[in-house]
Amino acid sequence: MGNSLESLKEVGQSLPRKESRYKVTGQAEYTHHVKLPGMLIGKIFRSTVAHGKILSIDTSQAKSYPGVFAVYTADDIKTIIPDPYYGPAFLDQPILAIGKVHFVGEPVAIVLAEDPHIAENAAQLIIAEYEELPAVYDEVEAMTSDVIVHKELKPSGTFPDLKHLQGKKDTNIALDYHLKRGNPQAIFDSADHVFEHTYHTQQVMHTPLEQMVSVADAQHDKITIYTASQSPSFVRLEIARLLGWRENQIRVKVPHLGGGFGAKLYIKLEALVVATSMLTKRPVKISLTMEEQFYTITKHPTTFKIKSAVSKEGKILARRCDVYWNGGAYADIGPRVTQKSGFTAAGPYDIDHVEIESYALYTNRPPSGALRGFGIPQLVWAYESHTDEIARSLNIDPLEIRRKNILKEGRPQATGTLMKGAEIEKVLESVAEKIGWDKPFDKGTGIIRRGRGIAVAFKAVVAPTTSIAIVTINADGSCILSMSSVDMGQASDTSMAQIVAEVLGVKTAAVKVSNPDTDMTPYDMATLGSRSVYHMGKAVKLAAEDAKNRLEKMATDLQMTAPYHFRDVFIKHYGMQAGSIVGYGSFIPTYTSPDKKDGSTLNATPFWMSGATGVELSIDTETGHITIDRLINVVDCGNPINPEIVQTQISGAAIMQLGFSLTEKMNLDSGQVTNASFADYKIPGFNDIPLVMENEAVKAYQIDGPFGAKGVGESATFGVSPAIANAIEDAVGVRINELPMTPELIFMAMRKAQNKS
Amino acid sequence: MHSFEWVEPKTMAEALNYLSLDDTNVRMVSGGTALMLMMKSGVFAPTKLVNLRSVQGFSDICVKDQHLCIGSLTSLAEIEHSPLVAKELPVLNEVMKKLSNVRVRNAARLGGALSHGDPHMDLPPLLSCLDASVRIQNKDSTRVMQVQDLYVGYYETALEKNELITEVLIPLKPKHHSVYMKCTTRSADDWPALGVAVNLKSNKNTIEDIRIVLGAVSEVPTTLSLTQAFLTNKSINDAVLDEAAAIALTEISPLSDELGSSEYKLHLVSIYVKRAIQALMNKGANNG
Repeated sequence: MGNSLESLKEVGQSLPRKESRYKVTGQAEYTHHVKLPGMLIGKIFRSTVAHGKILSIDTSQAKSYPGVFAVYTADDIKTIIPDPYYGPAFLDQPILAIGKVHFVGEPVAIVLAEDPHIAENAAQLIIAEYEELPAVYDEVEAMTSDVIVHKELKPSGTFPDLKHLQGKKDTNIALDYHLKRGNPQAIFDSADHVFEHTYHTQQVMHTPLEQMVSVADAQHDKITIYTASQSPSFVRLEIARLLGWRENQIRVKVPHLGGGFGAKLYIKLEALVVATSMLTKRPVKISLTMEEQFYTITKHPTTFKIKSAVSKEGKILARRCDVYWNGGAYADIGPRVTQKSGFTAAGPYDIDHVEIESYALYTNRPPSGALRGFGIPQLVWAYESHTDEIARSLNIDPLEIRRKNILKEGRPQATGTLMKGAEIEKVLESVAEKIGWDKPFDKGTGIIRRGRGIAVAFKAVVAPTTSIAIVTINADGSCILSMSSVDMGQASDTSMAQIVAEVLGVKTAAVKVSNPDTDMTPYDMATLGSRSVYHMGKAVKLAAEDAKNRLEKMATDLQMTAPYHFRDVFIKHYGMQAGSIVGYGSFIPTYTSPDKKDGSTLNATPFWMSGATGVELSIDTETGHITIDRLINVVDCGNPINPEIVQTQISGAAIMQLGFSLTEKMNLDSGQVTNASFADYKIPGFNDIPLVMENEAVKAYQIDGPFGAKGVGESATFGVSPAIANAIEDAVGVRINELPMTPELIFMAMRKAQNKS
Repeated sequence: MHSFEWVEPKTMAEALNYLSLDDTNVRMVSGGTALMLMMKSGVFAPTKLVNLRSVQGFSDICVKDQHLCIGSLTSLAEIEHSPLVAKELPVLNEVMKKLSNVRVRNAARLGGALSHGDPHMDLPPLLSCLDASVRIQNKDSTRVMQVQDLYVGYYETALEKNELITEVLIPLKPKHHSVYMKCTTRSADDWPALGVAVNLKSNKNTIEDIRIVLGAVSEVPTTLSLTQAFLTNKSINDAVLDEAAAIALTEISPLSDELGSSEYKLHLVSIYVKRAIQALMNKGANNG
């Protein structure tokens, strides 16, 4: 294996990104640039109440505003789409509100005009009257609340792993995942020590700097959609379903994305632009403002109650996890987040007796979906904070307790699936070594106190999902890779081109990668959850091999022997520089759905991702301000296709999670977001980046990955928050159990601890 | 955002002609960083914007009559990088490095930063503390006002609707030292939860003259008069600083908001007032 990796020419090289020059010179294509003749701009009128019956919507003033082309409500949408509900897990979200509104910011009506300012002004003239209903915002309250967000639950049945989904009628539970392994209760009854803690995460937003934008151009029997989407194939499928049309009547084109992070998945604005384009018979474009993005999709707030039975020596004997996911008003992909992350809620530890209850809950907040980690960062926050709290209580070193319990290769994980190809131990040991855990550490004196902390985590990649790729060799020997994976900044175009180049023996720079266009590029489930390098990478490799085989067959038939130039094969075969060779690759992994009773499965995932974080920080004990002196992130992503890109993926993920750990929080007042702008919602800037950042991908090889590779987009988000909390406790002896960890929270905790002692 | 008229005068006189006492829908724009936020959020819908970027002059930095004089159309970045400011009033370029972010500093102008009246700004407390004044013009006349008198309420200034700040005059006091400490509670480039400006003259360990002005904790920059009086002619030690901090807390009552609770902000005031004075006393000691 080692030898074969070393012989690689394109894969494993830190080649420059294919799109960078276009981006920095302003030439890259984005959906925001799309302008079509006669195009109308849509501005959305949104609900101002969190939960209410719609009594009336008066659009008359808006309609008569000079320059307004049309104003529509759900009644108009229904003339085109009689059942206008969408969603990847439940068909619960109406294109425009029908009968009721379920959160502040829900789209209620839309104004269309050629001039966006006219549309915006007119939208402010719409008057809606509501009968306000009691609302529920908290995920734990939603479990037992009399307030029921949705009376009727309609599973969508799109994805094979969510087929069993039904929801619980007359509750707010969209999905409940239960796992039981062994007999935890008996162990709790007899253990030396039982620890129980509760941790919370806050609502945050993806904040892609390119706001959501979609354009639809509907003609009588076909529609073209230009959209900033991470899932063009799903958009086609869902729009075809809504209209009752064939998939080939819907064309979805996606250029570069200015960030996605899980925000631009499934349907967001696409159904609304399609319906209004059909109604107006004009192209329609909707571009959200940054403020509107806060009302479109967010990250699940969570409450996680975790309980462990532990021996005197620090061996975890049993664990119970109760996780409550605040899904907001519409399920989006929340149930999948709940279930998939439910698999690993007990952490990367070898525990014989485990019970997990994971609930996806409806509330009257803006909807929650997947955000860089698919729920894993919320879980790691709890289980790795809990690990340190146990270690401190038992006076065991935090690294030692992890070593003692870590899940080793070949051992069954909580679901029963065996751990294979997961370098969990290696990432933990690498962080320990880099941070110098066994060496003395200066804890500071006086006002500034220092601390350090570690955390380790793993993730089961979402399964099962399909990727298809096509590699075309042109008659001059140049190649084009056609795939529907979306390059949203993670540089997938470059790494996929490297795979093609490696197989065909050409240069990466000579491989063109086409942007997703569902008329041209084959199906891909979506660009999400760190799945692309493994799934699409395998499909791309198969497609390139298929093309190569066809070319070789052609050459053999012509009695040509290597080395030959591809072009010469075409010229000899077709009599001139003509023809194409098309290679096809398709990949879907095997998967076994969890058992309904005990949640077990012997095949939960095609691969495991793992990551560990080490933090050194200083705290100003007079104010609670933190300085991150050193942030170390080590991941297992198999064999990196492009090491430089892996480095930036690690930094990017870690800095993003740093924002969720320290500064970012959507503040809600009666369901309204009171800080829905960058003036008051603070993502990290350059001055917030740790003084020292160290990134590493451990030497690893994913046995069935393309050239030994697997995904890396999320791994460095996992451990950042708990490693910081653990370092805070190391520095000043207080435990923070909610996010973000603001200076005030830390200072007040210190003051409380001082008053106690 | 509503549509509006955009005019580009070439001279200050021409620009001032667009302003009148009774039309509140005309507004000057120089950097536009704050105005754009207000217009995007719908708080302000002007009918006419007067762009000052083509107006010649009003962007000089010079020393005249023991004053550092800065034209109101000078960008914050120009002040940040001015060797003259660095030599004469280093506190001013130090504060720039932490004021918002580089994109804002490149666009925003000094006059706009002083006329906006948002209590969460860094320059009003600092310039008040330095005893700076502003030259204010309308189309007919000129007047000069102390910066500390400029602020009358939340987003409210003493400027008439037809007036504009054209110059900022900061007295140079070679024996005084000054500092501005900005305390943010979210990201580093956030609005301050508290800004503390101190300007003092000391002899050995004794304070002879002191000005302390707080920003962000009330509707207008707040001068801590009682604290100043207490500290004047005092020899500084920890006990005196503690007492000064306790007096400071009687002079303000911050409101809780997303930047912090009232209780926490009061605590920050007590810490930062002490730190700012201590930093200057150390500086004085080093220089002496």
